[in-house]
Amino acid sequence: MWSSIDKTVVEELSSIVGEDQVVFGVGRVEGYLLDETPLPIRPEPCRDVVVVKPASTEEVSAILRLAYRSKIPVFPRGGGTGLVGGCIPTRSGIILCLERMNKVTVDVDNMMAEAEAGATLHDLIEAADRSDLFFPPHPGDEYAQIGGLIACNAGGARAVRTGVMRNYVRGIEAVLPTGDVLRLGGKLIKDNTGYDLMQLIIGSEGTLAIITKAFIRLYPKLPFSITMIIPFDSRSAALKTVPRILRTGIMPLAVEYVERIPIEVSAARLGLEWPCKEGEAFLIIILAEQDEEYLYRVCEKLLDVCVESGSLEPLVAERRDEQDRILRIRSEIYTALKPSMVDILDVTVPPASIGLLMDKIDEISRSYNTYLPAYGHAGDGNIHVHIMREEGWDTAIYDEIRDKVYSVTLELGGVITGEHGIGFVRRRSLLRFSHPIYIDLMKKVKQIFDPNNILNPDKLLP
Amino acid sequence: MLLNVAVNFLEVEVGAVLDFHVIVLIKHVPDIEKVKFDVETGRIDRSSAPGEINPFDLNAIETAVQLKEKLGGIVTALSMGPPQAESSLRDAIARGVDRAILLSDHRFAGADTLATSYTLASAIRKIGRYDLIVCGEKTVDGDTGQVGPEVAEHLGIPHVAYVCEIRESYGDRLIVVSDMGDKFLVEVRFPALITVTKDVNTPRLPSLRDILKARRSKVEVWDADSLLGFIDMSRIGLLGSRTQVFKIVIPSEERRRGIILKGVDSVNKLIEALRMEGFI
Repeated sequence: MWSSIDKTVVEELSSIVGEDQVVFGVGRVEGYLLDETPLPIRPEPCRDVVVVKPASTEEVSAILRLAYRSKIPVFPRGGGTGLVGGCIPTRSGIILCLERMNKVTVDVDNMMAEAEAGATLHDLIEAADRSDLFFPPHPGDEYAQIGGLIACNAGGARAVRTGVMRNYVRGIEAVLPTGDVLRLGGKLIKDNTGYDLMQLIIGSEGTLAIITKAFIRLYPKLPFSITMIIPFDSRSAALKTVPRILRTGIMPLAVEYVERIPIEVSAARLGLEWPCKEGEAFLIIILAEQDEEYLYRVCEKLLDVCVESGSLEPLVAERRDEQDRILRIRSEIYTALKPSMVDILDVTVPPASIGLLMDKIDEISRSYNTYLPAYGHAGDGNIHVHIMREEGWDTAIYDEIRDKVYSVTLELGGVITGEHGIGFVRRRSLLRFSHPIYIDLMKKVKQIFDPNNILNPDKLLP
Repeated sequence: MLLNVAVNFLEVEVGAVLDFHVIVLIKHVPDIEKVKFDVETGRIDRSSAPGEINPFDLNAIETAVQLKEKLGGIVTALSMGPPQAESSLRDAIARGVDRAILLSDHRFAGADTLATSYTLASAIRKIGRYDLIVCGEKTVDGDTGQVGPEVAEHLGIPHVAYVCEIRESYGDRLIVVSDMGDKFLVEVRFPALITVTKDVNTPRLPSLRDILKARRSKVEVWDADSLLGFIDMSRIGLLGSRTQVFKIVIPSEERRRGIILKGVDSVNKLIEALRMEGFI
């Protein structure tokens, strides 16, 4: 394979960031090659790479100038928590690791955080908390980094009430492939100056620019919260209850859907017990409010909806430790299923169609005589359907099932990805399930930003 | 005074419990992971974290409720604490407790384990007949594990600490496994007291219905005067305490440090660094 990394490049990179911040050589780069993408669909990473760790926007700019001039591919890397191979180097090039740029400051009066790209979600949550403020969405793994969360427009469990990453970003600093630094937006609530290039860069998966810093909106804390488990006898009954809940005006922080088998596998892996003994399908609802009395009035209302919808007895965790335990079991389902998983999908339909989607998924499961575990963010129509390994099946069958799930999703007015993005692994599906004009326009946009195609090549665009 | 005693006995008679009766002792503690410590004064800032049932006491409640489900009868939760502790007693009701009593009076304040256990024992005498008292093995804020066994001593009943398994339960006795480092199989006849560990069970989550019902339930609040006839006022609160906390010291956090050494000079630099730290 053609190598873009030679001694001169390494020396130049070392002169920019310092010798200690450049890592190369087989074995040493191993920890920077992968993300959380399941093994069966993960691309084989290219190991002829050099990892470089800048400490400032100026250094990022200098690295990109070098890469642009020498036409060296640059693979931006955050926390490596992606699920579609978005940061896996597929060619010889530079892995741009932003972990040293991890400062977060909070402007309490403007309720705005200024976070560098390498700060983790955990850092942001903690910084907000120290300022007695709150970052409402929980867009995934807390070791994900701000740059990656923005570049991939991460979603997460709380989008139902508080939106996704792009709803919180008010300004960014980004370095273009040429090395030019662009500052867009700011600590602003309104900004109507021309094309919204910031929103274009958000969700561009590192293909248009390298985000180095962001202004992120924070909110007052919601001090009173509870987590509820509502059990049902069937998938369909559980999911059809979701729009009923939302129509009453109840605004949960999260409405998650889980099923008995995956949640028990996850609990067992953690040495815990799933607290709900009855039911096969569950809604996990988090309510958070400023006022305790109001919170329990919402609970009364919710109990009425549950009774009308034929749920079994809802359980409630009020204590922090009990709430954390439920969420921990929920958040570890992916890890628990991963060893026997082929793919995790994140199809999204209009929220009220989620029950219909699950009926269709059930039909697909039956026709292939397999189990497609499903869980996810029921409140915003975003469900993770898992394709599991079956004895004697080959790639063609898995692809067929995936395409069928995508087809029924599109028939219901949905999209193939609600939060994971396209990355490396969904490009073929993007091509198949999108309008050609849309693909063509995206390619033209890429050409304008990155004429040498150095930023995250082989990603997003088919 | 005599009249008071008579009235109190009358109350006990009216509320007398003839069925199997378990009393569970609980404590309202700050959420220990959220609570902030003032390093300067060595005090706990209780306003920094919401209060809740001591985590070990959840296992005590679950033990009591499981025994009730098997043997019938009722469970009474008893706690001593500030008025805010009422929320923990409501939580206990949501978890299956039938009656909740809070001992709350500024005269109880500042009590050490001796005065606390004496006050609780006095209230238990006032409650009247019981078969079993269940406590958590310790509290997360005090961490002594003394109050339970001391209550039993005040009442003159047998007790088994660190119960990690209820092997058998009957209307007149329990067979339990006590984990004192080594495990002991113990049979204890009622009335008795046990303290339970986290291993004894997994506390269930309350139902939404029970939580909403508990919010409307009554928590009885008893002050020192309501224990007249059962209590010696010189043995409660700060006055009745034989120990006092002078200061709480919070160990300072030390972060791990690292240096990366490269090149031919590394060994010398390493030796120098170790010398600077006083290791060699």
